[in-house]
Amino acid sequence: MNKSVNNIINALGGTTKLANLLGVNPSAVSNYRQKGFPARLHLKIIALCEEFSIPIDNDFIDKSKIPLKVIKSNSNEFLTHKSNSIMSSLSSDGYQLIDPPILVPADKVIDRLGETIVDRLFIFSQKDGIRLCLRPDLTIPTCLYYLDQGFGGEKKLYSYFGKVFQFYDEEENEPTEFTQTGIESIGDQDSLNADVEVFVKIYNALKKEGINNFKTYFGDVSLFQEFINVLDIPELWKKSLLEKFWNEDEFKILLDEISKKNINNDKFAERVYSLDIESALELVRGTINSSDGSFFAGRSLEEITDRLRKKGESYSLKPLSDSTKKLITEFLSIKDTPSLAISGLRKLCKSLDRSLLNKIDEVEKRFEIINSNGVDFNNAIFGAEKGRDVEYYSGFLYDFAWNNNNESIYIGGGGRYDDLIKLLGSENRIPAVGAALNLKKVERISQIESL
Amino acid sequence: MSKIKVGLPSKGRIQEEMNNFLTSAGIDVKKDGGQRTYVGSFSNFEGFEIRFLSANEIAKELNSGNLHLGLTGLDLIRELDSKDSSNVIPLLELGFSRADVIAAVPNSWIDVSNMKDLADVSRDFVRLHDRRLRVATKFQNLTRNFFIKNNVNNFRIVESIGSTEGSPSAGTAEMITDITSSGKTLEENNLKILDDGIILKSEACIFASINEKWNEIELENIQKFLRVLSAKSMAISHKELTFNCHKKIDNLELNIFREYKGFFLNNFFEAGDNLSLIVPNNNSSLCSEYLISLGYGPIKINKPEFIYQNNNDAWNRLASVIF
Repeated sequence: MNKSVNNIINALGGTTKLANLLGVNPSAVSNYRQKGFPARLHLKIIALCEEFSIPIDNDFIDKSKIPLKVIKSNSNEFLTHKSNSIMSSLSSDGYQLIDPPILVPADKVIDRLGETIVDRLFIFSQKDGIRLCLRPDLTIPTCLYYLDQGFGGEKKLYSYFGKVFQFYDEEENEPTEFTQTGIESIGDQDSLNADVEVFVKIYNALKKEGINNFKTYFGDVSLFQEFINVLDIPELWKKSLLEKFWNEDEFKILLDEISKKNINNDKFAERVYSLDIESALELVRGTINSSDGSFFAGRSLEEITDRLRKKGESYSLKPLSDSTKKLITEFLSIKDTPSLAISGLRKLCKSLDRSLLNKIDEVEKRFEIINSNGVDFNNAIFGAEKGRDVEYYSGFLYDFAWNNNNESIYIGGGGRYDDLIKLLGSENRIPAVGAALNLKKVERISQIESL
Repeated sequence: MSKIKVGLPSKGRIQEEMNNFLTSAGIDVKKDGGQRTYVGSFSNFEGFEIRFLSANEIAKELNSGNLHLGLTGLDLIRELDSKDSSNVIPLLELGFSRADVIAAVPNSWIDVSNMKDLADVSRDFVRLHDRRLRVATKFQNLTRNFFIKNNVNNFRIVESIGSTEGSPSAGTAEMITDITSSGKTLEENNLKILDDGIILKSEACIFASINEKWNEIELENIQKFLRVLSAKSMAISHKELTFNCHKKIDNLELNIFREYKGFFLNNFFEAGDNLSLIVPNNNSSLCSEYLISLGYGPIKINKPEFIYQNNNDAWNRLASVIF
C-alpha cells in the first residue's frame, strides 16, 4: 500500500508540491508516505489524480472508511468535474436550459412551503418593504419563470443548474448553499408520458455518472386520494382525511376521533346544523353581533356558518367502523418492492370500487413503461403513504437515496405537482412534473463509486 | 479586575416597576454624570457598571455577550432564542411586569375557541382564499414554534412593529399574537384570547449571559447582589403567618407544604413554641383558615421586608454554568 501512496505522491510532483496542492504542511505529506492518506483526503487525491491523468491503484482506498461528512461537506472544491456531463444529459432532448431568478418573493415561497421553511430561508426586505428571499429550491423559481414569460398552459420543457440556499442544518449536516440541477416538464397534458419521461431522464443521468448503489423510494399521493374517495364513509370524513393526510400527527388524531362517538357536543353548532341555511346564517349573524364581532378579518359570515354546520353535522354521523379504520391504517402501511406493493394493494382493496382498482392498474402500468425504458426495480420501494411530507405533490413522486455504512443520504427526487402553478398565480391549473439532484453529493458519490 | 456589566431598563413600565423594587430592596442606582447619561453604578454594591438600555436591547446584548447580567422580560429572551435559550439563562424571577404572550382571534369567529379550531380554520382558509392565514406579531419565533407544536401549519407571520392589536380590524392580518397583562386592549379591539392560547407567561427576571467573559470579574459582588434581590423578591411574593403551636399535629409541615406551598422558619419545634410560617401571598388566607380549623390561633399575618434563605439559588444557577 505504501508503495502506491509513494507513487502517487511522486507522480503529483513530490512532497512539497502535493503539500501546496492540499494546503497542508510538507511534514504531513511525509507522514502520508508512511501511514497512507487519511480518509478525509481520499476524494481530493482521486480528483487530483484524475486531473493529472495519473492511474490510481484501485485498492489504495477503502470505500467504507470515507466519512459521510466528506460527502455532505460545505466545501466547493472539485465541483465542476462531472457537472458538465450531468448537465448535458439533462439539457438534451429539448429541455431548454434556463436561468430562473435567484431572488424570489418570500411570501410566495412561504405560502407554498409553509412557516416551517422560514427558519431555513434567507429573507430580506426591498426598499418598498416587499420581502424577498434567496431561492430555497429551483422548482418554484422555474414555475415563476414560466409565468413571467407569459405562458398559461403551453407545454415547456426546462432544465436548470444553480445554487440554492437554505440555512445550515446542524443535525443534517447540510450546507447553507448547494448546487441543484434538474428538469421540469410544464403543461404536458399527457401525464403518464411526462411522469415516465422525467423520471427516466433523471434516473439515467445518475446511472450515467456511474452511481448504481442508490435506492429509489416511490409514492403516489393520488392513489391515497382515490382510496379515500371510494370508501363508504360520510363525505365530511373523506374531506377531513384528505386534508389531514399531509400531517401525520393530525391524521392520527382525526382517525381516532372519528372512530368513536363524540361526547363533547357543541350545542350551538348542532343547532346551526339543524336549521335551514337562511335561518342558520341569521342565527350566526345575530350571535356574532351580540358578541362584539365588528369585523370578520378575512373570513365571511358564510364561511363561519359553514364550518359550524359541518361541526354540527359531524355529531350526527355514525363513527367510523373498526374495519374501515383498520383498512385505512393497513393501506397506509403498505411499503414494499413495487410489484409486491401493488399486489398487496390489489388484495387489500379487492372489494372496493372499480375506479380504485383502475387507479392501481395505472400505477402498475407506469412502472411497466418505466421498466421498458431500461429501469430495473431491484433497489426500489413503493410506499402508499410516501409523499405526505411535501404538500405540493399531487401524484407520482420519488426520492433517491445513496446508502453507505448503513447510512442513507438523500441525493435527489421529484414528482408531479399539478396545483402549484395555479397557487403561484396562474389562472388555470397547469399540469407539471419535475425532478432535481443535489449536484455536489452526486459528484462526490460518483467519485466514491468509481473506485 | 473588570467591572460586572449589568443592563437595566431605561424606559417604560418595566423601568418604573424596577425602580420601586430596587428602592424597596435598599439598592440605590446612580446615574454617572447626571440624569441624561446612560451609564451608572450602584452606590451600595461595588464593582458594577450599569448600562441603561431598552428592555429589547438588553435581551439582544445578553444574547451576543456584551453584558454579564441584565434585567428584562422573559418574553424578550425567549423570542430571541426560542429553541433553548442556550446563551442566556434566567437566574431569578422578580415577580413584577407580569404579562402573557397570547394568541387572539376576532370575536366574530364564534366557531373558534381553541388551537384545534384554529388548525382547522387555517387549513380551510388556504383552500378558500388561496393564501395562508396571516398572524400579526412582534414574537415571530415564539409564535411559529407554538403554532407548529399545536399542529397549526397553515399560517404566515406578518411582522408588526407598533399596535399589533389593530391589525385584524385594519385588514393587515387575520389574527394576532401579542403580550398583554389585563387583556383590556384586546377587548377594545374586539379580539378574544383562545382557551389554550397562552404562549408564554412572562415576568421581569435577572438573566446571565454565558457568552460574556466571567473569569476576570469579582464574583463575590454578584453573589451578594443576587442574595439581596432574591431575599426581596421572596419577601414581596410571600407573607408571614405567626401563631403559637399549643399542640403538635402529625404531618403539619408536610400538609402545609403540599397544600399551600408554605414552610416554617423554625427548623424544629414542639408544643408551646411560637411559629413563623412563610406562604405565598395568595395562599395566606386559605392557609390561615386551615390553621384555624385545626384549632390554632390567633394568627398574625405580617408582610416581611426581606426573606434571606440559606441557599442562594440564583447564584447557584449562575455558578453551574460559568464554572
